[in-house]
Amino acid sequence: MEKIQVLVVDDSKVSRIMMASVLSRTMFQICDCAKTSMEAVEKYRSLNPDVVTMDMNLPDGDGIECSRKILEINPRAKIVMISAMKDASLMMRGRNVGINSFLQKPINANELIDTLLMICQSTENSIDVLRESYVKPFIKVLQKNLFSLAGLHSKVDLELDKNDFLDVNGIAVIIGLTGVPMGRAILHMDIQTMNRYSKIMLGMGEEEELSEEEASDSVEESANIIVGRSVSMINDICKDKEMRITPPGTICGQRIRIVNPKLTSFNITASTRLGDFKMNIGFAEGE
Amino acid sequence: MDAKFVNPFIDAFMTVMPQIGFQDITRKKVSMKDKSAQSLGVTVLVGFTKQIRGNVAYNMSEETAKYIASTMMMGMPVEEFNDMAQSAISELSNMLTANAATNLATLGFDVDISTPSLSVGHNFAVKISSEQYLVIDMDLSGHQIEINISLQ
Repeated sequence: MEKIQVLVVDDSKVSRIMMASVLSRTMFQICDCAKTSMEAVEKYRSLNPDVVTMDMNLPDGDGIECSRKILEINPRAKIVMISAMKDASLMMRGRNVGINSFLQKPINANELIDTLLMICQSTENSIDVLRESYVKPFIKVLQKNLFSLAGLHSKVDLELDKNDFLDVNGIAVIIGLTGVPMGRAILHMDIQTMNRYSKIMLGMGEEEELSEEEASDSVEESANIIVGRSVSMINDICKDKEMRITPPGTICGQRIRIVNPKLTSFNITASTRLGDFKMNIGFAEGE
Repeated sequence: MDAKFVNPFIDAFMTVMPQIGFQDITRKKVSMKDKSAQSLGVTVLVGFTKQIRGNVAYNMSEETAKYIASTMMMGMPVEEFNDMAQSAISELSNMLTANAATNLATLGFDVDISTPSLSVGHNFAVKISSEQYLVIDMDLSGHQIEINISLQ
């Protein structure tokens, strides 16, 4: 997926470098920088970035005037104003022009990322934001833990779930996600994969007898670890919006349908030599 | 499990159900279980966390789910447990648990709830805790609903 393109308008080289460093490990990419108001307007017109960070003080005018010109080109332009002062009258002038959000220098990395995410989430980009910022950490953690818990290498597939339901044959561990965004994560697999995996996780031989409870407990514990670590990783990036997890609920059986009509969800499939480990990560719409 | 955590869930049921059109609501037996529950056909799981962590599972037959959905939709006939009916039952579970969370807050326990996960099937087991958990049987005009509650 393409990264979200950011145009940075700031006459200070230090600020531009700091911004680049903050955004380097995120789904945002600086497409260009502008040092003056005039340059900003030209670059906005030619590059059509997804979002603009705007310094208040520019050599040839102020950031509010520059934002007004950009909003004339595109009334739906997304602009975050960044200034050393954050006074009420400045914010009111900015809002009247159509600036979406205001931040104060020095920039706090988490605050900046949160603000950019929030602005971009209110657009058609929200699925990309969910995928990049919230689902990708699950993939990383799933792969890493399949390896650390059972020495499994995996090949991962990710797709947006087009259905309003999930069919499960075997076991599904459901863990709720609270906070922002809220939703739920499900780890599911067939019985054969569960049994093979649990034996390795519990250090049992192929021929040893594994009880149903031991098998489902192993999967449940793995889901708890994977979802817990994924959420920690997400919280490390977005500190203001702490997500939490609920205890796991586990369902076992054949031909079970889990219905989630109002979720935007993603299917992750990790193919391993033992079978497929599947996750469905869903977020409440409009969050 | 402390009984003071039970009443918020019962009170929620007693408060919410009349608001959506049910008059005849009776609390039947309250019991403890420690094995997985067998789904009656439709089971909605809602997790909660913060000062208390746990799960609540609303367990009912498909017939009961259709009856509830129909009543919620002003008596509209519900022949099949379709998208609209599933959505109504999800929403009901959300309302019940949110109301229970409000009741818990008045006891001084702040709780956040997750989105509901509604599962449908003919023969599946639901496990919400490895410890003992509480089962409250409710009767709704002759229809049974089991509320399973686990707390950590």
